[in-house]
Amino acid sequence: MPAETHVERSPIGPDDVFRMIRERLAEILEIEEDRITLDSDFATDLDADSLALIELVEALEEELGERTVGFSIDDEDLGDLHTVRDAVDYVMHRLSTGT
Amino acid sequence: MPITIAVDAMGGDNAPGEIVAGAIEAADELGVRVLLVGLEPAIGPLLPAGASGVELVLATEVVAMHDPPASVRTKKDSSIVIAAELVRDGKADAMASAGNTGAAMAAALLRMGRIKGAARPAIAVPIPVPGRAPQILVDGGATVDCTAEWVRQFAVMGREYARIHQGLDEPRVGLLSNGEEAGKGDDLRKAVYPLLESLPGFIGNVEGRDFMHDTVDVIVTDGFTGNIALKTVEGAIRGTATLVFDTLMSTPELRAASEAVMPALFEAADTLNPDSEGGCVLLGVDGICVIAHGSSNARAMKNSVRRAKECVEAGVVERMKGAVADAG
Repeated sequence: MPAETHVERSPIGPDDVFRMIRERLAEILEIEEDRITLDSDFATDLDADSLALIELVEALEEELGERTVGFSIDDEDLGDLHTVRDAVDYVMHRLSTGT
Repeated sequence: MPITIAVDAMGGDNAPGEIVAGAIEAADELGVRVLLVGLEPAIGPLLPAGASGVELVLATEVVAMHDPPASVRTKKDSSIVIAAELVRDGKADAMASAGNTGAAMAAALLRMGRIKGAARPAIAVPIPVPGRAPQILVDGGATVDCTAEWVRQFAVMGREYARIHQGLDEPRVGLLSNGEEAGKGDDLRKAVYPLLESLPGFIGNVEGRDFMHDTVDVIVTDGFTGNIALKTVEGAIRGTATLVFDTLMSTPELRAASEAVMPALFEAADTLNPDSEGGCVLLGVDGICVIAHGSSNARAMKNSVRRAKECVEAGVVERMKGAVADAG
């Protein structure tokens, strides 16, 4: 069941969120999108450090904030996001709870 | 249209009084337009009626000196974040802040973005060299944990910045290590060295004793050792100055003699004063951000605005983009 989103746009599903994360992360890390899979570990597979993750979070908040009012990601939660799949699940949860 | 500089009026140990005073001086003497970003109750009373070239941009929050860099994410209406957004949005040509260095770096990075090919920002610190233009130390502390590739990128950007700042065609670039021989250093330096061998002007390893000497123009290292080296140099300068002046005051004879040499000594010492140089430029971000030291006074802030103006005029960001792209 796709998450409920803000007005006039189609709902966002996990595939959309993954695509968004992959595109933004590829830009930030300057790597090919193909290298990024759902199972990629931010640290060990992608060499993404905490600053890169904060850049990713800022980009996601900007993009998703346009569609879902008040969408935000808590910095305290970043430590629990180890893989791209963790991030997709987390974003979907935040979208579904409207936070 | 004059060059416009956004000044974080709330940043620094002496903010907002000294920062505002320096910004007003800068607008008056340098012909720039200054956007003072800060809290109205704090800044408003400091602005003299009819001050030309200075405008107030309101913020409602302040990033404190002890706040973590990530605080720019939660304090989105802080003066340091708004200053960076003014540059991002094209309302200012550059920003200057004497506030929290980590927060300034994060605000610039997150709001202005990185230039392609520069994975992490680096602070270019002018190190005084008696009798000649300052050396450039890069990184002075922006990126503490570095990969070898990032340090290579710092070298490329530092070299290009020295070409602008020092007016040199071919600056000498050295890698800071614990010995001149190629094999000297920790794992990071041993990994960086071969990456720099093809960089024009690379002269190999340099040591701490090369600071303030005419042996190298650009000293490259990671932000951790760079910041330690910078603070060591600052401490050594202060200690040496204290030794000289205390000695000159130690006996009546020396005190009498000092009357002749003191004016010249004060003048020479001023060339070592960071206030006379202004701030340091953050390289690798897609906009100009000048970071002044936390204890900046009005003079230091005026010279930081001067530095920002010079960077705009020299097209520093475009030069960095070109250098990084050419170096691959």
